[in-house]
Amino acid sequence: MKINWEDLQGKSFYQATARERAYGIVDKGTFKEFLGPRDKMTSPHLLILGEAVEFDDGITVGVGKIKKHPVFVVSQEGKFVGGALGEVNGAKMAYTMKLALKTYEKMKEKYGTVPDDRKPICIVSFDSGGVRLHEANAGLLMHSESMETIWELQNKVPYIALTGSTIGAYGAQGFVCLSADVVIANDFGRIGLTGPEVIQQEVGKDEFDASDRALIWRTMGARSKYILGDVDYLVKDTIGTFRDTIANIVDEPMSKISRTRKVGSPQLVEENLEVVKLAAEKQIKDSKDLWKIYGNENVDQIPEMPQDQFLSVVKRRPRRI
Amino acid sequence: MALTELNFEFKPETPKTIVEEWSHVGVVGSGDLEVLIEKEKALKGSIKIHILTTVVGFDDVWETVVKKFIDKTGLSGVKVSINDNAATPAVVIRRLQQAVDNGGGLQ
Repeated sequence: MKINWEDLQGKSFYQATARERAYGIVDKGTFKEFLGPRDKMTSPHLLILGEAVEFDDGITVGVGKIKKHPVFVVSQEGKFVGGALGEVNGAKMAYTMKLALKTYEKMKEKYGTVPDDRKPICIVSFDSGGVRLHEANAGLLMHSESMETIWELQNKVPYIALTGSTIGAYGAQGFVCLSADVVIANDFGRIGLTGPEVIQQEVGKDEFDASDRALIWRTMGARSKYILGDVDYLVKDTIGTFRDTIANIVDEPMSKISRTRKVGSPQLVEENLEVVKLAAEKQIKDSKDLWKIYGNENVDQIPEMPQDQFLSVVKRRPRRI
Repeated sequence: MALTELNFEFKPETPKTIVEEWSHVGVVGSGDLEVLIEKEKALKGSIKIHILTTVVGFDDVWETVVKKFIDKTGLSGVKVSINDNAATPAVVIRRLQQAVDNGGGLQ
């Protein structure tokens, strides 16, 4: 199979398939896929239900290199069953993350310390609507295994989440995404727990209109999340810029990388609750009100601005930790 | 409803095979399919095709479409596996061509 790495660097992250993202996010020619299409490990559950199956079960996992770091990559494919996590692709995801931890522990055992410029990294490129409901419990089981692994990776292996594909990170994958040390997004990135259509179905169109795309993007989109501090880096939409951003971060010591964590300590919980308190006190009806509170002017122009201009004028939620 | 499984074997008149050992393209999205081509020594001059599709009752169309492509290109010496989610014949031909190109073309 031929993959042209140079072409991938300039390719839109939004339009790229899971496999293209996985190959392009690491250094040239270093990606090695685990359980690729030739292994034909398809979902047994979908087959019984008469649903279409895929040879890689909608996920590309493997290992590559960025500079001197071994990089464990998980890349979800949103076009196949909405990128939803089932038993097979969930196991591929969870156990690739576990491999990053194992590599760290082996290095520590063999050399005593893990140098900052050689530490293993775990990257997950999100494009998923959550757990595959056809496989309910099996999918949830794998979801909890990956959450457990994220906890174990803390302060050892940098876990970097990428969002900016067609689906975004929703449902169960929404909080797997926000558990990361660093979240990188392009303008198409979306993070949420319940998707817009489900919210509309549950609470009504007056509360949240799923056909109002501007409303969805300013509520769940990357720019709003960047102002709130959920997204740490907002970048241009090419695989190359995502790769460069990662390459610039990873040599830093772990204590510095994990400073952008959003969950994982009582202090962080308290800090997050302050946002909820603020929203309740000030009776926030729209994301724009919240942007105003953090000191942004011209809030009506923020969604339409070119990205460079946005990054130069934006004021973000101050962090205490 | 169970998936439809189809198996075909053809012997094209002017057999050609792909340059690389294997090739894969496509994502099984709605109205799309994935194609996996793997070289197999035992299949010299002939081609085996395995199709798994959600569509029922279009077996003849599948045979016509695949046969047309193989007669035109002479693709052989390989095993082709297809997972399909209701793709139209035009998309099927396109993906087969892309899979051949991804495998380095024909020789």
